[in-house]
Amino acid sequence: MKPVLFRYARPQNLADAVGLLAAADHDVKILAGGQSLVPMLNLRLVRPAVLIDLNGVPGLDHITPGPSGGLSIGALVRHAALAGSAAVIERAPLLAEAARHIGHPAIRHRGTLGGSLAHADPAAELPAALIAFGAELVLHGPRGARSIRAPEFFRGLMTTALAPDEILIEIHVPPQGPGWGFAEVVRRAGDFALAGVVALLGRPRGSSGDCESARLVGFGVGDRPVRFAGAEEILTSPGGDTSAGVARAASAAAEACDPPGDVHASADYRRHLAAVLSEKAVRQALTRLDAARPA
Amino acid sequence: MSEPAGGARWVGTALPLKEDVRLVAGRGRYIDDLGQSGQLHAAFLRSPHAHARIVSVDTRAAAALPGVAAVLTGAEAARLSGPIRPLIPTTAVVLDYCLAVDRVRYVGEPLAAVAAVDRATAEDALEQIRVEYDPLPAVVDPEEALQPGAPLLYPELGTNVVWHDTLTYGDIDGAMARAHGVLRERFTIQRYASTPLETFGAIAAYDPGLDAFEFWTNDQRPGLTISILAASLGVPQSRIRLSCPDIGGGFGNKRRPAYLLICALLARAAGRPVKWIEDRIENLTALMHACNGVMDVELAYKADGTLLALAVRDVADEGKNLVTPSQHNLIKLGNIANGYRIPAIRYEAWSVLTTKCPSGANRGIGKPFMCFAIERAMALLARRLGLDPAELRLRNYVTADEMPYTTPPGAQYDSGDYPATLRRALECFDYAGWRAEQIRARREGRLLGIGIATSIEPAGTNLASYELLTGRRTVSGSAEAAMVRMEPDGHVRVAVGDPSSGQGYETVIAQIVADELGLTPGVVTVARGFDSATTPWLYLSGNYSNKFSVTDVGAIVGAARRVADKLRRLAAHRMEIDPGDLELRDGAVVVRGVPDRRVAFADLARTAYADVLGLPPGEEPGLEARHVHQNPLAAPVDAHRRVRSQLVFSNAAHCCLVEVHPRTGVVTLLKYLVAHDCGREMNPLIVEGMVHGSTVHGIGAALLEEFRYDRQGQLLTSTFLDYLKPTATDVPAIEVERLEHPSPFTPLGAKGVGEGGAIPGPAAVANAVEDALAPFGVTIRSLPITPERVWRWMRPGATSVASAGGR
Amino acid sequence: MIAPAERLSIRLTVNGRVIEREVAARRSLADFLREDLGLTGTHVGCEHGVCGACTVLVDGESARSCLLFAVQLDGATVTTIEGLTPPEGLSPLQQAFCAAHAMQCGFCTPGMIVVSTELLQMNPSPSPEAIREALGGNLCMCTGYVNIVRAVAQAAAALRGGAGETS
Repeated sequence: MKPVLFRYARPQNLADAVGLLAAADHDVKILAGGQSLVPMLNLRLVRPAVLIDLNGVPGLDHITPGPSGGLSIGALVRHAALAGSAAVIERAPLLAEAARHIGHPAIRHRGTLGGSLAHADPAAELPAALIAFGAELVLHGPRGARSIRAPEFFRGLMTTALAPDEILIEIHVPPQGPGWGFAEVVRRAGDFALAGVVALLGRPRGSSGDCESARLVGFGVGDRPVRFAGAEEILTSPGGDTSAGVARAASAAAEACDPPGDVHASADYRRHLAAVLSEKAVRQALTRLDAARPA
Repeated sequence: MSEPAGGARWVGTALPLKEDVRLVAGRGRYIDDLGQSGQLHAAFLRSPHAHARIVSVDTRAAAALPGVAAVLTGAEAARLSGPIRPLIPTTAVVLDYCLAVDRVRYVGEPLAAVAAVDRATAEDALEQIRVEYDPLPAVVDPEEALQPGAPLLYPELGTNVVWHDTLTYGDIDGAMARAHGVLRERFTIQRYASTPLETFGAIAAYDPGLDAFEFWTNDQRPGLTISILAASLGVPQSRIRLSCPDIGGGFGNKRRPAYLLICALLARAAGRPVKWIEDRIENLTALMHACNGVMDVELAYKADGTLLALAVRDVADEGKNLVTPSQHNLIKLGNIANGYRIPAIRYEAWSVLTTKCPSGANRGIGKPFMCFAIERAMALLARRLGLDPAELRLRNYVTADEMPYTTPPGAQYDSGDYPATLRRALECFDYAGWRAEQIRARREGRLLGIGIATSIEPAGTNLASYELLTGRRTVSGSAEAAMVRMEPDGHVRVAVGDPSSGQGYETVIAQIVADELGLTPGVVTVARGFDSATTPWLYLSGNYSNKFSVTDVGAIVGAARRVADKLRRLAAHRMEIDPGDLELRDGAVVVRGVPDRRVAFADLARTAYADVLGLPPGEEPGLEARHVHQNPLAAPVDAHRRVRSQLVFSNAAHCCLVEVHPRTGVVTLLKYLVAHDCGREMNPLIVEGMVHGSTVHGIGAALLEEFRYDRQGQLLTSTFLDYLKPTATDVPAIEVERLEHPSPFTPLGAKGVGEGGAIPGPAAVANAVEDALAPFGVTIRSLPITPERVWRWMRPGATSVASAGGR
Repeated sequence: MIAPAERLSIRLTVNGRVIEREVAARRSLADFLREDLGLTGTHVGCEHGVCGACTVLVDGESARSCLLFAVQLDGATVTTIEGLTPPEGLSPLQQAFCAAHAMQCGFCTPGMIVVSTELLQMNPSPSPEAIREALGGNLCMCTGYVNIVRAVAQAAAALRGGAGETS
């Protein structure tokens, strides 16, 4: 299958990229990693008149540790770079873990963080991780730059807050604690998940008591990542981190989602997985929290 | 069998493959690597509807697009070519052309074609073709399709049932009545396909001066295809040349004369060669699927588990296939008893049309489903009787001293020790050890399961079996042709009418000829692929049904021996010695026991080709021989409708160990062992590779692969994103144990190995998962076994249910 | 600012040779390599980035050439199976593939060689699991992967210079 005829440009700076985007009055698509876009181009599911290749724009592929423990990550950072970056592994290991689960090495060499976020596949790992982090996304358009928090960025099925003339350029991840968990079910390693859950739990420094913070986000269980607020409340309540509490939180997570059904899994099964994987991710996070406590 | 002249030095050795050397360097030449000067590229417009009348087709805008050289509609194809003849005789005779004319009958059916400067432009042009459709109701379920009142694909036939017949062998009713019990079960199988990594493709060229066509293609059945092309194009076969380059996997899938016809018509219209390479969507949507279907099985048994009778009611969903209908049914009948002694057998079959992708030959053709049904039934019977599943099988196998054994429908099992194969598998797998481990694991809440499945694996197809479909014989037998030529320099060239698609023919044939002529394989060159102008071939020629060992080998050996005999005669004349005292060794004819008295082949070849006056009187110049081998087991259908539809039988036993995640239903294959017996292994490297690969096909069908349609006949799984193939992380290392019981009926004692594990694999995996889920009382009746289906089976209160597979 | 164009000139290095061509924007790298440069060793199996048959090295890293447009490769270095094959004979990895019969129809083989090459560069002593994971994005319909995994393990051992275990 071959794509429709399109015109291609490879701007050498961000201003030109934004200018090209604004100037295109037909369908225009931004090419980053291409691992999701090009199959759709080849299948003629996407039919742009203009393709803007962002890979020539400098400064979009940095991983910059923040002063207080967070990270600033350029949108063109490849999944392989995320997975292998010492700074990411140290400061946001959930992100590295999520990136490791994407496809296969050849996909990870090209696929980008920004591309995955802009594509907003509901079964993708990275959007859920960013929502769990409380990350901020920086969008750049003709009117300059603006920030938007991750949950507001994902609007619906493969729909984001990106305006037609905006480019996602940077992601800011706040400092993270050690209590993280990641669990997904796939048909084959590297496939899109049938369902998955990321968990971030925090306790007051040095304590072994109740969790003071919990972020539990499911992917593949809705038209966008689903924050399991009810489950989070249970986890941060007294006894939330006991077996019973975790099980109740898992049930709450399942009840909180309205998953899609498709050839790979029904809504019921995905809802069931939301519970199972919530429990698994939460237990991982608790284990890591315990391990990180000073002796 | 008489010994080859050179002794058996090469056949049987695990010689690394010659063709691997070029393939590993990317130097294979596949159809998409070939090109003709000035060629155009074709694309096909395909129906978006499962069933619709074609009201009008307007190609004017498409034809006017710059870069477009020719456009073809169904109506034009019907004027310019004849209908496609069925390859398997059928009473359902319709007029079907290479493009749909007034009706489309499956999503993806081609109805128009464009030839342009490149594929992208051709696809642009397709978008300019305006088609008006009048949608008709789809029919996607085969049991619905055979009911009166179902939407008909061909109203002129009055039915969607292409074949319905009942074949009865022995006293079925009596056996059922006498039985201690009858196990009744219904099984379904999903649509899936072997999907070779290289898609189908062809280049067609027309020479107006000669009024002749030339084709390059990876079609696996050149003998059949040439005959269809000639008939449809209205030219004699002698003005069609067809050649095959390297083929990137076939498994029976690559056969669609209609596609070559379309390219031929475009080439003639455009005055330039036309190349068409199927893309993956086209391949998954429209090339072919193995039949899905429903099978009702009744297995009558004595109290000790001895089988008395088997009655099968089999509905095979052929999609829109009137070119090779009923193929799956016939093959199932020919293998229905698996390895068991079953005195009475009844087989009631339907071949039903539905508005889906045409069925076709797939690895195993119908036997995976047949084996699934029988081996699942055996597992259930063992459970019912409280017998170990291995023990039940051992009680019922045809034994080695009963060989050759003829089943009630007429299949003759030539040799093999089925109990020994199973025992070897169980021992090497450490069946007892894993049973103990299973009990330990259950206490920890882990669900381990062990599955056993055994099967026969036939080789060769006797086309006389087609007479069962129509009552008349039009084609029959099982044969192949080969040519062996010693060149003037003493090197040898071989060609056989069977194009390899990864079976290592260039190496194993060289081994065979090397033994026959006392040479090394290094000086024997086997022609790549097929070329109808130079390769000897018959209508029956091609790559199908594991036939290599039963026909190709005979043709090759026969031709090689004629050359060997001639070499001895020439040397006898030269050395004035009796040919009986001569042997062929190390590239020369040598006096037996007197190694100094020898004449090199090259020397004799020079005489034969150039210095012909030096030949013995009456001897023809040249050193070339052709031979056609007809396997003597092929015989007509007898008065009781019994026939040897397949000729010799390998056998195998599969044991696998799975773990089922108790909460997600995910199935992990932990261990997989195959004990197999394919008779004499001509090259153990090739054989073992076949066992690995075919077994993974079986695993794919068991756990991953399914072509799913909705009620409107739309295919929901048309890319590799949705149609899931096994990867290296999905399958364990397949362990292989070998036994060897040569066939008394093939030239070298070899049997078939190409379909192998594709046959019992699905049953083995299903039996293992069911075993793992024993605490839940699950009965598995369909495939694939997805995590969701497992989860549903494990839910409290879930009674054993048949899944929704088989649509 | 450069205007978007339907055809562009590119200059890239392929298997060590500098290539300058004008190409259509929508031409995939796979088609460019195969048809414009005659490097038919890279194969196309799906065009949706799943089967891995088209895998090549781009700037030293594996990438699916069916998911790249040739115009993206201006200034880049591409290595195909032809570039991984020595002028005479076969590489140690290729020899291991032949010794282990790690192919049947050969269509997936160039892609397997590319990803195996990359694996062994990064991990000279891969476990069987690591090998399977590295190969997990390349479909083979013929071998069932067993011999491919063996070949990579044997090649790893040969490259390390010691006697290796078979997997």
